[in-house]
This record gives sequence, C-alpha cells and structure tokens, in this order.
Amino acid sequence: MSSLQRFIPGLLTYATLYLVFLYLPVLLLPLFSFNDGTIVAFPLQGFTLKWYGQLGQQDTLIKALGNSLIVGGVTAVFSTAMGLFAARAFVRYRFKGRELSEGLVMLPLVIPGIIVASSMLVLFISIGLRPSLTTIILGHTFVALPFAVSIMKSSFDQFDQSLEEAAFDLGESVIGTFRRVTLPIVFPGIVASLLMTFTVSFDEFVLAFFLSGNEPTLPVYIWSQIRFPAKLPNTLALGSLLLFFSILLLMIAESFRRRAAKSQI
Amino acid sequence: MMENRSDKKIIEITGVTKRFGSFVAVCDLNLDLYQGEFFSLLGPSGCGKTTALRIIAGFQDPDKGEIVIDGKSMRDVSANKRPTNMVFQSYAIFPHLNVGNNVAFGLRKSGISRSEIDDRVSEALEMVELDGLEKRSAEELSGGQRQRVALARALVLRPKVLLLDEPLSALDKKLRETMQLELRRLQRSIGITFVMVTHDQYEAMTMSDRIGVMFDGKLEQIDRPEDLYARPCSKDVASFIGGMNFLPASLKEESGNVLDISTPGFGDMRIEINSNVSKHGPKLLTGIRPEQLEISAKKPSDYDAMAQGKVVDVAFYGESIHYFVGLDGIDEPITVAVPNYFHTMDYQRGDTVWLGVQNASVIDLGEIPDNMKD
Repeated sequence: MSSLQRFIPGLLTYATLYLVFLYLPVLLLPLFSFNDGTIVAFPLQGFTLKWYGQLGQQDTLIKALGNSLIVGGVTAVFSTAMGLFAARAFVRYRFKGRELSEGLVMLPLVIPGIIVASSMLVLFISIGLRPSLTTIILGHTFVALPFAVSIMKSSFDQFDQSLEEAAFDLGESVIGTFRRVTLPIVFPGIVASLLMTFTVSFDEFVLAFFLSGNEPTLPVYIWSQIRFPAKLPNTLALGSLLLFFSILLLMIAESFRRRAAKSQI
Repeated sequence: MMENRSDKKIIEITGVTKRFGSFVAVCDLNLDLYQGEFFSLLGPSGCGKTTALRIIAGFQDPDKGEIVIDGKSMRDVSANKRPTNMVFQSYAIFPHLNVGNNVAFGLRKSGISRSEIDDRVSEALEMVELDGLEKRSAEELSGGQRQRVALARALVLRPKVLLLDEPLSALDKKLRETMQLELRRLQRSIGITFVMVTHDQYEAMTMSDRIGVMFDGKLEQIDRPEDLYARPCSKDVASFIGGMNFLPASLKEESGNVLDISTPGFGDMRIEINSNVSKHGPKLLTGIRPEQLEISAKKPSDYDAMAQGKVVDVAFYGESIHYFVGLDGIDEPITVAVPNYFHTMDYQRGDTVWLGVQNASVIDLGEIPDNMKD
C-alpha cells in the first residue's frame, strides 16, 4: 500500500467511483445494443444481434460511413504530412518565431469547437466554398494537426541528428538520407500519427455538423437518427462498433508510438 | 622514424576561421597533415576542436581560409563528396539496419555488385574483429561493438582520411584503454590518416604520432607526444598535458642555449632554453613534472637543486602516491609523484622532507604570463 493511500483512506473509493461514473455510461451503450427491445431501460429483454444485422441494409448509413472514411483518410494524410515537417522544424532548428508558431499550431486543442466551426463556415461561404466533404477535410486537418505535430515531435525528439550526418558523410544525398535513414526511423511515429488523426477526424462531430452540407459523416448521421426512437437500437449498435474500432485504432497507434520511441537507441 | 607516416601532405588547412555569431570557434587555423599519420586535436571542451573536425568533414563551411585534401580544394565540395569519413561520438549506428547493412550503407550507392559489397563488408568486419556478425541487429550491440561497427562502416569506403570525434568517450575505462591500443594498431596496419578529436590527454598521447593542442579556437602547439610533454610552449599547454609544478623564476643570465635562473625554494639553477617558447623576459616561468622530483627525509646529495619543506597533504593513487609539499616563498604546494614500489607510504602530513631536482628536469616556459605577475 502506498504511503499516499495510508494518509488518505478514502482515496481508493474515490478513484473507483470516479472511474465508474466516467465509463459506466459508455459501457451501457454496447449492453443495450444487444438488448431485444426498442426501449432503452432496464430490465433487459433478451439477447439479440438483429440491430447489428440491420445496419448493413441502411444505404444512408453506408454512405455516411463512406464519407467518414474518405474524410478521415485524407485528413490523416494531410495532417500527418504537415505535422512531420513542422515537428522536424520545431525540434531541429532554432528560428525566430519558433515558439509562437508552435503555439499557434497547438492552439486548436483549446479553442472551443463551436467557435472554430462557425467561423470556418462563415469563412468558407464568403470565399465561395460550399459545405461539402472538402470543407470538412479542411476543418478536420486543422483540429488534427496538433495531434500529428505532438506525436511526430516525440519521434524527432529522440532522433539523433548524427544519424543523418552519418548517412550524408557515407556519400548519400540529402533526399537519399531522408529516404534511407530519417523516414524508416520515424516510420512508426508516422503510422501512429496517421491512426491517431484518422480517429480524431472519424469521431469529430461539431465541425462536421457545421461544414457537411448534404454529405453527412457518420457522427452527424448518428445524431440525425437519435431523433427517431425506433432507430435508437440501431444507433446503439453503430455507436458500439465505432467505440470498438476507435479504441482498437488508438491502441495500435500507441503501440507504434512506443515502438518509435524504442527503436532509437 | 618510429611512426609510419610519409612526407606526403594529405590535408592542408590554411587560415581557417569559423565564427558562430560573435563567438570565434576556430581562429586562423593552419595545419598540414601527412599521409598515414595518427593526428589528434586535443583541448578542453569548447576549444573549437570539434568544429575544426566538422569543417574538415564538410559539415560546416569555414568563414575564411581553405582546406585542401589530397591536392584538391574542398571549397564547394559537400560532406557526401569528400574523401573523408567520420566516426561519430554517438557512433550513429542506424537502428533500423543490421550490422551488415550498416557497414554496407555507403557501398550501396556506388554501383558496386552485390557480391563485391558482401566481400568488402565481411572484410571490414574482420578488420574490426566482428567477423560473422552481419545479421546481428543494431540494438543487440554492446558499446564496444557499436564503435567497431562505426569504424568498419567508415573504413569500408576506403577514405583518404578517417575523422574520429571523441571515439572512446562513450566507453568505460577498461574498454577505453583496450580500444586505444587497438585503434592504434588498426591505423598502423591500414595506413590511412586518422584525425581524432579528444579532450583526454592520455588518449591523445598513447595513440597519436602528433598532437595539436587547441585553446579558445587557436592551435597553440603541434608536436609529437614526448616533445609536447618535455617542451610545452606555454603554461596552458603545460598544465593541460600531465601534471606540472609551476615555479616563477628571475633570469640572471642568458648565454647560448642555457639560462641561469634563480627560484624561490630551489635557489639558483642552470636550465636549457625551450625552443618552443616564443618570448623570454626578466621574469620567467618554469615547470617541473611531479614524477621528476625526488623526495627524501635526509638531504639528498646528488641533485642539482634542493629545497626543504613540509608535507601538507598525501594522495594515494594506487600505482603512485602524490605528496604535496609546501616550500617557503611559494604559494602553491609542490606535487611530488612517487611510484608505489613496496606498498608503503613513507611520509605523513606534517613531516619535514627534502626535495631534489636535476637541472634537466626544469622546463623553461618563457616569460611569465600577465595573470601570474605580482
């Protein structure tokens, strides 16, 4: 027993209650998705998989899923590519305005989504860009960039600069050095960033809601379905699937990030 | 000559200066290096030795001056096109490649056939005694093995000059001493010029044919290790290499290549002029190596100069014992190093002892530096 626990006896109870409060609602989601009844209330009616089975037959859902995959994929590539170069610059070079630009890049983490969303909508419309997948991608790249930058920064932080010098010294060109040394070494970091930013985009609602026009992403679609009580069990099933895959992706991302940290001796 | 260098100049450095902002890292560096020699740049950290090495390698451009390697000017020749290769302080072993691919890294570009690459890699690994470890992953290597891989990776390209940046500093003491001799042997057997940067005087002395001592961006003295030890050109060099007792003296007469001087403590002495010293004056600085002083309880008879003093401290080093002896008229106690012959410590703190020294052991260090004048 740690000394902290001895001094504050209720600490364990508090922590347990806190975690239950935090995660119990999330666990109810999959629980009711297997419940054979349309009303979300105890007692449970019986086990069924029909809500999951019905998901595949809903064309608008499939369309929304496709939209989310496109937006998430493109956002992941954009933000990771930008994050890669930004992180390298932040870690490697000392230039004027480095701290300011780093702060600006990380800012989306703390600006309320609703502010970003409404101001982006105004901006896009004023420059003639109609709400569409493109505008969602732009918005999502903006919010996913801080995640990409911080993951890539931790990759480059441990990157020994003399590795690149050694490659150059051994006769390799600047581009060849990047391809044969820099890229393979930060590769796990890149994968982690791709998965992370994809997940950020895939789960994002507020921006997508404002910027989607008539091409909803999955979270926007789910929101629109919640209004119909009969569709609720379907939505629970869909939500459970999203939850499962999000956690899976983040776990894979984290394992890659750790591998990135470990591979640099 | 003992060393295996030839008279052919392989690197000519003229007037090289490098500034970082207002800080002058390297100031007017002039240095010729010869084919096949083992040269060390020695100096305290921040003296510009690593910058000098990186300028030779091509990682940094000098603000002024020129570098010629093997007769060709290196102006506008970038590091990847120079006939030099470097062993980095961190060794910079590529973590995603195995030993064989690390060593083959530089060969893959040059359009050499696969089988020849394999041959050269195994030959290089044999040279550093890592034969057959091609498939070993970089993460499984010990510190010493990493250094050998770094050496093999650089030497497999058959550079004209191998540059080594503090190559032994990451190793523990025992391994470091083994590698000093091994690197020396390797350099002799392949005959490539080695230029090593180090802050460790013993490393520099045991390994090098010649040593260049740097302070504050300036090359103070270039000499063979034994000459550097016997005839340092200044107080800085003298105190950086080995231990040294400094003794101010006044010049009585200068005739031919001898100086008649008078010192506090040891009295009058006749010493040889040190040809490496640039300036003499009425006030001189002299130096005596701690191991060249005799210490005894009775007044010794067969020494050119003697002094009586009191032991103020004793330090036991294992292979030797250092006695610190206070003399009248000298602020700093004189250090005397005595080999540990019989596991005895003959003198204790407070003992009155005699010191003896021969004229030949007293080194002329020229006019006394300003900061030591009264």
